[in-house]
Amino acid sequence: MRETVGGDVVRAFLGTIVAVLVYSVAGAGAPALLVVFNAFSVVVLYFSIRRGEIFGALLGTMCGLVQDAFSLGVFGVGGLTKTLLGFWTGYISRRIDVAPLARNALFMLVMSVVEMVLWVLITALVRLKPVNLQGGLVFIQPVVTAVVGSSLIALERWIQARSSRGA
Amino acid sequence: MPLWERRRSALVLVGLTVFHLLLISLQVPQGTQKSLFEKGVFFLFSPIQRAATLTVRGIGSVWNGYFDLRGVRRENQKLKKENFFLKQDLRFLEDRLQLAQSEAQLKASLAAFEGTIVAARVIGVDSTNPHQSIVIDKGSFDGVAKDMAVCDRNGALVGRTIGPVGFKEAMVQLVTDKDSSVSVKSEVDGLTGAVTGRSTEICDLRYVLASGSGGHIGDELRTTGADRIYPAGIRVGAIQSVEADPATPIFRRIVVKPYFGFDTIDVVAVLTKGPGGGG
Repeated sequence: MRETVGGDVVRAFLGTIVAVLVYSVAGAGAPALLVVFNAFSVVVLYFSIRRGEIFGALLGTMCGLVQDAFSLGVFGVGGLTKTLLGFWTGYISRRIDVAPLARNALFMLVMSVVEMVLWVLITALVRLKPVNLQGGLVFIQPVVTAVVGSSLIALERWIQARSSRGA
Repeated sequence: MPLWERRRSALVLVGLTVFHLLLISLQVPQGTQKSLFEKGVFFLFSPIQRAATLTVRGIGSVWNGYFDLRGVRRENQKLKKENFFLKQDLRFLEDRLQLAQSEAQLKASLAAFEGTIVAARVIGVDSTNPHQSIVIDKGSFDGVAKDMAVCDRNGALVGRTIGPVGFKEAMVQLVTDKDSSVSVKSEVDGLTGAVTGRSTEICDLRYVLASGSGGHIGDELRTTGADRIYPAGIRVGAIQSVEADPATPIFRRIVVKPYFGFDTIDVVAVLTKGPGGGG
């Protein structure tokens, strides 16, 4: 597929819809899953590494605002943190080699931790109240996000390798 | 080379950051007030959420239906539905009987609840904290509006509908949300207060004076109706612990365990009439 602005917008929108689908299914199955797994972060990380900082920032904005719309938190906090996540993930991944699987997982983990710290700080600042960390369960989220995100990229490479061998 | 070409990434980042900061600033200190933009995003994406949940349930249903005896399954579903409404009716009948002072009052109360329950399925939970809100598959087309009480399948209070209410979807603020407040009264000794959430599984019973009597572990709390949102007599939860509050010595620290749980809110009842529903 040719990489045009229009194409990127469509991909960003589809990525957001996929995140909504995953979030809805996971939430309906086991609400506790949503504390340890953030489908929107996975989508932002995955596409930011593939497409770069501008795409990452725009997708982060969209995913973050959609996440905020399904929450009683302050609208825009998720948008801001995911915009920064998308931008810096895309920016750094263009400057250092994050292709090896282990490095990719570690990079995603670091970026997820940064996003979580930002989210906790901004939420505490805006609400002027301590943030509920769900008994520390919320800190598992970056690990799960990194594992799922890097697994997706590994899966994509595996499929590409198989199809190129087939061709 | 123009500035946009040279500094495109930085300009996009600055633009988006300023946009979000403005968005956040507009809401502070309201916090839970929904802006038009937020409502728009909810309206746009809630049908997708609804479709996803229905598709997954549909696939599961087809799978089960294939193996089950179809007639028995249909009958089972019908009985489940009837059972749900009967449980709700029974709960409200019990509540009304306890509250009613005379036969005339009882008749008036029963008439008020006739045909006012809308059964809804939960299609999503809060994306950042499951204890704050849920999304149900009934909206304005089904008679659901803002500030209507929502109960679980056993008649225990779950929360209230809040804006935005979509055509076929609505958001429900749970009683466990930190911004939720429900006026309640103890069934045992008449102790009154407000149940507020912590955005965890438990709540606090606030504004109970330390000098007052009453309030024991296990006491059942029911809505008073004084908040003009929840009808009186709905079961909310039971007192879990009572202790002195060092932070505010004039009040007692009472922890309440709500009756509803995520295992009992796959189907909920929206009370379309009552103080909040404008009935």
